[in-house]
Amino acid sequence: MQYQMNEFLFAMILTELEDAVGKQNCSTRAIDKVTHSVDYYWLSRMWADRGCRMPEADIVVCPENAQEVSKVLKIANYYKLPVTTWGAGGGTQGGAIPVCGGIILDTKRMNKIYEVNTEGMYIECGTGAIYKHIEWAANEVGKATMHYPSSLTCSTVGGFLAHRGIGVVSTKYGKIDDMVLKMEVVLPNGDIIETCSAPKHAAGPDLNQIFIGSEGTLGIITKAQIRIFDQPEERRFRGFLFQDMTGAFKASRELLQKFKPSVMRLYDEAETASLIKKIVGVERKGAFMNIAYEGVKEMVEVEEKILLETFAKYGAEDLGSEYGEKWWKEKITFFYPGHMMDIPQMFGTMDTIAPYGKIEEIYWAMKAAIEKEFPQAKFIAHFSHWYEWGAMVYDRFIIEGKDVPQDPVEALRLHQRVWTTGVRTAIAHGGVVNDHHGVGIKLGRLMKEQYGPAMQVFEGIKKQLDPNGIMNPFKLGL
Amino acid sequence: MIMSEKGKQHVDSCRFCWMCHHICPIGNATGQERNTARARALGISLVNREAIDLSEIMDNIFECGCCGACVKECVTGWDPVMFTKETRLHAAMEDKLPEYINVLVDNCFEKGNAYGITEVDAELKKAIAAHTANTDTVLFLGADAIYKAPECAVKAIKVLEKAGVNFTVLENEPNSGAQLEYLISAANETKEVMNNCAKVLNSFKTVVAYDPQDAKVLKREYKEWDINLTAEVKTFTAFVAGLLKDGALKAENSGKKVVYQDPFQLSRDLLETEEAREIINAYAVCEEMLCNKNDTMWAGNILMREWMADVMDKVALSRILNAKCVNADTIVTASVSEYVSLKSVESDVEILSIEDLILG
Repeated sequence: MQYQMNEFLFAMILTELEDAVGKQNCSTRAIDKVTHSVDYYWLSRMWADRGCRMPEADIVVCPENAQEVSKVLKIANYYKLPVTTWGAGGGTQGGAIPVCGGIILDTKRMNKIYEVNTEGMYIECGTGAIYKHIEWAANEVGKATMHYPSSLTCSTVGGFLAHRGIGVVSTKYGKIDDMVLKMEVVLPNGDIIETCSAPKHAAGPDLNQIFIGSEGTLGIITKAQIRIFDQPEERRFRGFLFQDMTGAFKASRELLQKFKPSVMRLYDEAETASLIKKIVGVERKGAFMNIAYEGVKEMVEVEEKILLETFAKYGAEDLGSEYGEKWWKEKITFFYPGHMMDIPQMFGTMDTIAPYGKIEEIYWAMKAAIEKEFPQAKFIAHFSHWYEWGAMVYDRFIIEGKDVPQDPVEALRLHQRVWTTGVRTAIAHGGVVNDHHGVGIKLGRLMKEQYGPAMQVFEGIKKQLDPNGIMNPFKLGL
Repeated sequence: MIMSEKGKQHVDSCRFCWMCHHICPIGNATGQERNTARARALGISLVNREAIDLSEIMDNIFECGCCGACVKECVTGWDPVMFTKETRLHAAMEDKLPEYINVLVDNCFEKGNAYGITEVDAELKKAIAAHTANTDTVLFLGADAIYKAPECAVKAIKVLEKAGVNFTVLENEPNSGAQLEYLISAANETKEVMNNCAKVLNSFKTVVAYDPQDAKVLKREYKEWDINLTAEVKTFTAFVAGLLKDGALKAENSGKKVVYQDPFQLSRDLLETEEAREIINAYAVCEEMLCNKNDTMWAGNILMREWMADVMDKVALSRILNAKCVNADTIVTASVSEYVSLKSVESDVEILSIEDLILG
């Protein structure tokens, strides 16, 4: 905002927004502002834990469709008000926090399921739909979305698209950007556009991929066609124990040249000895890996044979199916309070992605950097999303509550330093700033380091689409 | 805020957890972020930390139906209903209830029901008058049925008449305390109302609670709060299922396909899911819709219509949509409150009560 908001002007803008979305869908109540100010980002949680109020929006609006979103954006553009899009608030990067005030645009009223199309194998829905509800809709016709992140029950379709999320069966079925056929997007100027009716075309760059991962900085995705899949005839699990991670990487790389399992999760020794021991019950030293393979029964049989042969070559101990099945059953349990890290601990997941030649090196470099710079921190990791060419490391730092400053600003400083150290190390060793949690306000400062002069491409798109800079300011480094 | 240590622990666990976001019937119906367990916990935690005033979250505290879907969903066992009710109790003790809640509470004390209604519907009065003689069994109709859905209460009486049951209906039925339990939880005043009710009911051997909300309170809260109720409490559905088994009720199956709306008080709180299905399957064919049995999705109630009728309509419509998704054209309910709620919205789905099914 380039001027001082006053009570009169505020009241004027409020009436315009009420006119756009309906009075009952426009709020200045404290409870609405507070609940839209704290997401899953550790800093926002810590800030609230210390009894401080996070930056809040001035007005919370809940439009029902693209037409209402368009009206809101036109008003916001005219008055040059910041607009931060909010799905369900489950993001870890502070991407949905209205750091500059202005308008929070909550998408959850745009939750309609317009079509379940079993011929085209997609569900068309508003992006405010909770993903689990899309899964229910798919299940009702015997299909599945195959997008099963830990936040399945608490995040919206739009939320996953905004930060380019991923689920546990990604190796076979893909990431959220692989799940989308077509989208409706409201541009910052209020124009409503649709992307092409099919992805993977040659009609220029894929517009879907410009908006997916843009975290509400370039527009607001209001509708999407999300792919659905046949339920597998058979889904089998196999747990393995590797003596070291190097063998696991080699075995996994070789396996992926032969077929694509659905789940591939490799836990480092520290995480095997903590989380896996606690939740899955593996009480052995080494690196636990869980593999799931699924589909047509005959093919699953063949895949199982290939898996066992390949992993045996690299010295993996076959633990049978029991631990893998337990893991599948408990895959979301890991993230409930009481099982997951929580305040007063300081923690974060610095996920990064790289080709096979680099990913293990990145892990060791990040571990060394964090443990050297912050001896009070514990570093644990698992590798949860795998491709023919590489994998991502889901590495976490944990600092126990006794070592976390009570002063919120001091805690913020420590948190920033740990993150900068870890992510810079990843970038320096050939990793990418983030794999699937996004950038938000947490990592915006590192985007220029990641991209160098390539950042001007994003900046140019931003300038063209959002010349007033109203869309989710200070996120994504834009 | 005055809150138990357990309550505070649950608040501080839920305030940053989103895992039950998908399951709240009110949150799903309104799409409002504040209608989530974590939003309520965050608000309370900020009151506890003096970052926000209690008055600023009070409306939100009364936007919860206390259906327990979030409690059921939580694998760790955190209980948002518990801390929501503790906050209501605290607000009542501190005289900080919203005015629209105060009116309902005062009505409970002064008029015997939250709605402040004193006149009973003439047809219901007549039906009750036929059963005022003392017997071993009392049919406890409950405030919602008597004052807001008398036609349902009449049907409940007719069902027992049809089965030839010798039973009593109280002309001046005391308030069970269920409404106060919902509004202000375990206040001394709530317990006093419950004690008075127990004294009346103890002159019977068996209490058949027509409204699942009353059944839940009579069977659960009375026990937990040491209310001396010696009579055996049976839910209406369990009692009627027994009548079918005994042959007192003769059913003819129409073959009509219906889905059953499990009242959470029966399925989650009292772990009763099969009795209503046995009744339905005697008269029709019971199919299942999304979120059934103890995963049930609440369809709204009568009491909350007093201050958020529009939201109750949305909650009911959401549930009707679930029925439509499995191509059901009839929903059968065992809760007078959900029956009224579902009937209140326009839809092409037929809403029947268990009594409708039996009486034909």
